[in-house]
Amino acid sequence: MEFLVWLEHTAIANAIRTTPWMYPTFETLHYVGLSLLVGGIMLIDLRVLGVARQLPLKSMIGLLPFVWVGFIINAITGSLLFIYGATGFGTNSMFYLKMTFMVIAGVNALAFDVAVRRARTDWVAAGLPPAYVKVFATLSFALWLCVVTAGRWMAYR
Amino acid sequence: MGFLEWLEQTDFGTWVGESLWAYPFFETMHTIGMAMVIGSLGLINLRVLGYKSELPLLATQKLLPLAWIGFTMNLISGLTLFASDAQHFWNSYTFRVKIVLIVLGGINAAILGRRVFQEPPAGTPPVVPTSGAKWIAASSLVFWFGAICAGRLIAYLP
Repeated sequence: MEFLVWLEHTAIANAIRTTPWMYPTFETLHYVGLSLLVGGIMLIDLRVLGVARQLPLKSMIGLLPFVWVGFIINAITGSLLFIYGATGFGTNSMFYLKMTFMVIAGVNALAFDVAVRRARTDWVAAGLPPAYVKVFATLSFALWLCVVTAGRWMAYR
Repeated sequence: MGFLEWLEQTDFGTWVGESLWAYPFFETMHTIGMAMVIGSLGLINLRVLGYKSELPLLATQKLLPLAWIGFTMNLISGLTLFASDAQHFWNSYTFRVKIVLIVLGGINAAILGRRVFQEPPAGTPPVVPTSGAKWIAASSLVFWFGAICAGRLIAYLP
């Protein structure tokens, strides 16, 4: 708690508190980042699951840079928003639920990445993901929906 | 009593405003629908602009159902959220800007559908987007991202 109080009184937090445009701007950018991150991940997951098969799987997995740009925007804006409201967010059970879902989604994404890199048969080029990769894609889709849901619910705790 | 005031006071309007879960539920639905629309239309527009040219242009249309699902989710959740606080939303300039941007984005999508996403007659070369089509795609991206920004800023701007 002391740490949260300290965070909330850092120069950054004070700047956000005293500059009216900052909080709305960071929040808006958090939504732009969300669209890139979740929009991109959904496209990749759905393609792995067999939606829009005419689009080469390899090119769709190639959308990952967009996902990363969205993730970085949201890591930065999310941290700034957290610093501003540290004592509120740091004691919000929905915030911890959101972070938990994100960590699990991250581990799952890593597993997916390893599966793509270590593919023995070239299922990526062939566009035929094995069943266990489809499990990763299903989990990913569900987990990111949970991240968004927990994030939105933070305002109501 | 005007229509907006009536709408807010219907059983439905008060339920959305007062229920513990209704407002956050429809807000969450609105956020997920947003990601679906932006993900699918964003990629289609980028492809028209020449990004990821290895994707077959006409096949990117297969992402349109995803855009429609997201749009329908957002129409339903948006109207529901609107009903709970109709006067506030209607009187908000930022809300009006958002709606105008969505309409412009929709008009652009319809124009692209007619100009780019038509199967060429057999034996003719595949469609290459004209610079006009690219302008439409670029402005679509501005409209959709603008709509996200305006939507978020309804809470802060008049």
